[in-house]
Amino acid sequence: MKGDKHEEPEPGPEPAAPPPSTDEEEPLLEFHHSYRELFQFFCNNTTIHGAIRLVCSQHNRMKTAFWAVLWLCTFGMMYWQFGLLFGEYFSYPVSLNINLNSEKLVFPAVTVCTLNPYRYTEMKKDLEELDRITEQTLFDLYKYNSSNTLVAHARGRRDLRESLPHPLQRLPVPAPPHAASRVRRSDSSLRDNNPQVNRKDWKIGFQLCNQNNSDCFYRTYSSGVDAVREWYRFHYINILSRRQDTPLLEEEALGKFIFACRFNQVSCNEANYSHFHHPMYGNCYTFNNKNNSNLWMSFMPGVNNGLSLTLRTEQNDFIPLLSTVTGARVMVHGQDEPAFMDDGGFNLRPGMETSISMSKEAVDRLGGDYGDCTKNGSDVPVENLYGTKYTQQVCIHSCFQVNMIRECGCAYIFYPQPRGVEFCDYRKHNSWGYCYYKLQDAFSSDRLGCFTKCRKPCNMTTYKLSAGYSRWPSVTSQDWVFQMLSLQNNYTVKNKRDGVAKLNIFFKELNYKTNSESPSVTMVTLLSNLGSQWSLWFGSSVLSVVEVAELIFDLLAITFLMLLRRFQSQYWSPGRGGRGAQEVASTPASSLPSRFCPHPASPSSSLGGPATSLALSAPPPAYATLGPRLAPSGSMEASSSAHTPGEP
Amino acid sequence: MAAGEKIKAKIKKNLPVRGPQAPTIKELMRWYCLNTNTHGCRRIVVSRGRLRRLLWILFTLTAVALIFWQCALLISSFYTVSVSIKVHFQKLDFPAVTICNINPYRYSAVRDLLAELEQETRGSLKTLFGFSEITSRKRREAESWSSARKGTGSKFLNLIPLLAFDKGETSKARDFRTGRKRKVSGRIIHTASDVVHVYESKGLVGFQLCSNDTSSCAVYTFTSGVNAIREWYKLHYMNIMAQVSLEKKINMSYSAEELLVTCFFDGESCDARNFTRFHHPMYGNCYTFNNRQNETILSTSMGGSEYGLQVILYLNEEEYNPFLVSSTGAKVIVHRQYEYPFIEDVGTEIETAMATSIGMHLTESFKLSEPYSRCTEDWNGVLITNIYNATYSLQICLHSCFQAKMVEKCGCAQFSQPLPQGANYCNYRQHPNWMYCYYELHQAFVWGELGCQSVCKEACSFKEWTLTTSLAQWPSEVSEKWLLSVLTWDQGQIKKKLNKTDLAKLLIFYKDLNQRSIVESPANSIEMLLSNIGGQLGLWMSCSIVCIIEIIEVFFIDSLSIVARHQWHKAKEWWARRQASPCPEAPPSPQGQDNLGLNMDDDLPTFTSALCLPPAPAAQVPGTPPPRYNTLRLERTFSRQLTGTEVPAES
Repeated sequence: MKGDKHEEPEPGPEPAAPPPSTDEEEPLLEFHHSYRELFQFFCNNTTIHGAIRLVCSQHNRMKTAFWAVLWLCTFGMMYWQFGLLFGEYFSYPVSLNINLNSEKLVFPAVTVCTLNPYRYTEMKKDLEELDRITEQTLFDLYKYNSSNTLVAHARGRRDLRESLPHPLQRLPVPAPPHAASRVRRSDSSLRDNNPQVNRKDWKIGFQLCNQNNSDCFYRTYSSGVDAVREWYRFHYINILSRRQDTPLLEEEALGKFIFACRFNQVSCNEANYSHFHHPMYGNCYTFNNKNNSNLWMSFMPGVNNGLSLTLRTEQNDFIPLLSTVTGARVMVHGQDEPAFMDDGGFNLRPGMETSISMSKEAVDRLGGDYGDCTKNGSDVPVENLYGTKYTQQVCIHSCFQVNMIRECGCAYIFYPQPRGVEFCDYRKHNSWGYCYYKLQDAFSSDRLGCFTKCRKPCNMTTYKLSAGYSRWPSVTSQDWVFQMLSLQNNYTVKNKRDGVAKLNIFFKELNYKTNSESPSVTMVTLLSNLGSQWSLWFGSSVLSVVEVAELIFDLLAITFLMLLRRFQSQYWSPGRGGRGAQEVASTPASSLPSRFCPHPASPSSSLGGPATSLALSAPPPAYATLGPRLAPSGSMEASSSAHTPGEP
Repeated sequence: MAAGEKIKAKIKKNLPVRGPQAPTIKELMRWYCLNTNTHGCRRIVVSRGRLRRLLWILFTLTAVALIFWQCALLISSFYTVSVSIKVHFQKLDFPAVTICNINPYRYSAVRDLLAELEQETRGSLKTLFGFSEITSRKRREAESWSSARKGTGSKFLNLIPLLAFDKGETSKARDFRTGRKRKVSGRIIHTASDVVHVYESKGLVGFQLCSNDTSSCAVYTFTSGVNAIREWYKLHYMNIMAQVSLEKKINMSYSAEELLVTCFFDGESCDARNFTRFHHPMYGNCYTFNNRQNETILSTSMGGSEYGLQVILYLNEEEYNPFLVSSTGAKVIVHRQYEYPFIEDVGTEIETAMATSIGMHLTESFKLSEPYSRCTEDWNGVLITNIYNATYSLQICLHSCFQAKMVEKCGCAQFSQPLPQGANYCNYRQHPNWMYCYYELHQAFVWGELGCQSVCKEACSFKEWTLTTSLAQWPSEVSEKWLLSVLTWDQGQIKKKLNKTDLAKLLIFYKDLNQRSIVESPANSIEMLLSNIGGQLGLWMSCSIVCIIEIIEVFFIDSLSIVARHQWHKAKEWWARRQASPCPEAPPSPQGQDNLGLNMDDDLPTFTSALCLPPAPAAQVPGTPPPRYNTLRLERTFSRQLTGTEVPAES
């Protein structure tokens, strides 16, 4: 091998002119003279097991036939097995792995919301008219008298009611017992939230129409509470979108909403949380999200090694018709994910200490051919309006918003607002309600294609929460606790127990489960299996295939050379043609013996196959012992250059 | 001796030790390539044309490289596990359930011990926040306490003073006891400067802890006064309780009869005897159900709330320690039998005047230990002594590790964990500055600086109960009256009428009797690995173990012996020349040199030179053939090999 490598640098400059170098050294490429010779060489030197017997045992027809059948059988078996193996590989099977890891964990981001979007006092001006009309409606429909002022002015202001579009109406339902044959007010009625209400013959709802009032439908509800809330919410959205100014931020959040905050027994500071405003859930504070300078880590499980918050949950300044829940809402989510308070929140009861224990679970899917998931969302045909990490929720919400803008021409207020688009308001877009509810229906029945467009992310982390409750503060300690809170945080609430809540969030265990996929057939195992099959049936290898390829190349080359020679001998002048043929013939003839054969003429002339091979390989030892005696030179170099001086 | 020689000669004759297959390395390679079964090598030799040969060399080397690469991949992925999930449906063992009252000791019983502390806490509350008692009864009590304690002075505040920090200046602090400003030297921990300007109206509250020689101090500040008072109180509380004997503490805490009003399990009545007591330093007496020594583990016959454990707990809210615990309720933890319940870390709290239903779902996990993952079955291989009388778990290991470090660094043991051998609980009489030491150590521990997290391994098998809690108002308005009176009668211990806020109902049950087992098993076996490696070898080169042995023989043994022989002859020749130079007999050496030069097999000349030397080693003789014979042998090897190649061609 080493001796051969010494020759490597030499062929470099040579390939340009192979014929001149022939007389000195062995040529770059040389071809056999005849097919017979070529086959002889192949048969002698091939490593394919069956093929040798098939091609080379020409003396016995019976044997040849037998070997041919055998060869075909094994060939068939092998390719059948190959087909099975490839079929298995290209179905991209995955195997599920569950890893139980136990290590320090990054504490997830925790978002806490006040459940009160605006201070009622600040919003009163905007909501005044809506509230009055709502009260009026409540009085009209249910004879409910919420405030004394209303009664006095009710009659006088009746005409004002028409100033708001989509009034709440009581709708008679003609044939309630048969839900299927129920006659709807409009054939385009989409939602029917009243499956079986036999007791009452009417429902309550409001009408929504399209641009030119040609198509209308009623959104109906069986419960008056739902109807009023939904109707109020609908108008509230319009009012909100009219408020162009950014919502008032409560700068002193840590003092006003969050009385105390500790993580790992250490007090939090302003750098640990960020603030955003949600139109329904109010001021939300996200602890430990990505712009926290150094992320909180949990090295130990347990209550003492988690986040502990004392929250103010008083509801003296809530919007009465919008907020029907009191307390606070908390959500645990990944660092770079937006908090969808609607989707995965946890409500905290006032006057309670809520201990939420988490356990982490991660899912890793294989992307690409193995499954339908997306690594970072860049290949999903939906624009990410949130500007955060891709999650399926982000994508679906973005998809809805994009469709909303396309269909209705305005943006829904609960989803992010792209540049240059304004939020929906019926003063500007008078039919957006119609459009929105239609779209909502199409969205939930997946006619928008959002659920197919939005693929699962390949890496997902979920936190499983479970909660325990205890009364806080206890009877014996409530005196000093409330006193301290009121002194430190200017906390003055009449009903004290309902005004505060305590929250502990901690890891239950540091063990976390990772469900990951891995290809069950990898390239390596596929190749191994192929090789096993190949060896079993054929005993050959990739190099054998290269041998066959070489054989085919040689065949082609020889055919070409022969054709060329014949062509030359036919069409050229005999003198020239003869010389050309001689040249072609002499090239291999002179080089062939240079390696093996001491008699230059013998390989071309001798036809007996075995004899040739004997002659080919036998002489060198004798030759080698002869060679050095003629040229006594350096002892070691002689071995590598043994051939060179030997050229006759 | 003669017999030995004879045998030696016989062996030599019958089993002649020949040298390698060829006299030189080049010949050896040639011989190998022509005769090996490995594909590719033969082509290197028999191909004609340099480019062709070069290509074959390249092909062969590529195949070798591929084999190495793929086999490396196979071996590196050998230690992977496959996971199987089984769902059994069977009669399940009910887990051990530990129930604690959040409040450790009856306040009336423990008040004597804590009187001074309470007095000073109230005092500092007054000076700190101008806080005065609201309830008249409380105030009366407080006054009586204060009058009683007037003369003694405040020893707790002397020890660790509570400080208020004015905004903006963290180095100066106001001492609440004396009212004068004092300079706070040393580091200030946990004071975030940006917190300070958040609070326009108030300063921070904290306390200062110093090491033994008071050279290094740390100030602990809290944004909320509630937390500051509680931490400060807890420190002193631990000091006091560390000096109380265990029996006394058990007596001060709740008895099983007192805590458990009713008990039902699997449709049958049970009572306090089914519970075993275990004393927790921070939660007092806790009672564990279904954890009795030498008794069979109870199991449930059915899923559902009817067949689980139902208890009504009496949590006397009036006996709560006002400063130590601020919430009311009980703590429940579900764990394996003989496993230590870490009630302070992982407990589900239940509320008074509520019925809490906890549905369980059992998941068992079994991991493979070394070398698949770093987990352990028991304490073997963990360099920590177990201070808990319980089976191994990661939590126990971490706590044991911390306690060991605590004893090592601070000289005493922390109060809320069991005592290691030969150590005492910390109290400020014996260890005046243990608190500083503890805080520093705990901080280091929480941030993983003590190395406990790396020493402790996770357990290989664990059971996990996934809990789902739901709440309902209990007792209902209509049933409240009769229920409470019956329960009062049941609970003979207490001579007062039960209040519904003193009671809590707890139901723990299996949601269904399905048990999920996650079992890891090795994904690869040695047979799989071998067959895969065999597949790779076969695919690229049609190689086998035999051809690997061949390679070892040719490339290592034979090549080395050729090189060694060559060197040996060289050395001998050199020695011969040295011997020859003083002696006038020069002719043999040029002859040998001539021979050496004209032939590449070194045997010939060196053998002659060796012959001329009297001390020719006998051992070398069989290895070195006679000079003339060598050329013959060379021919013979080739002719033999030649006939070998001929055979397939002819047949």
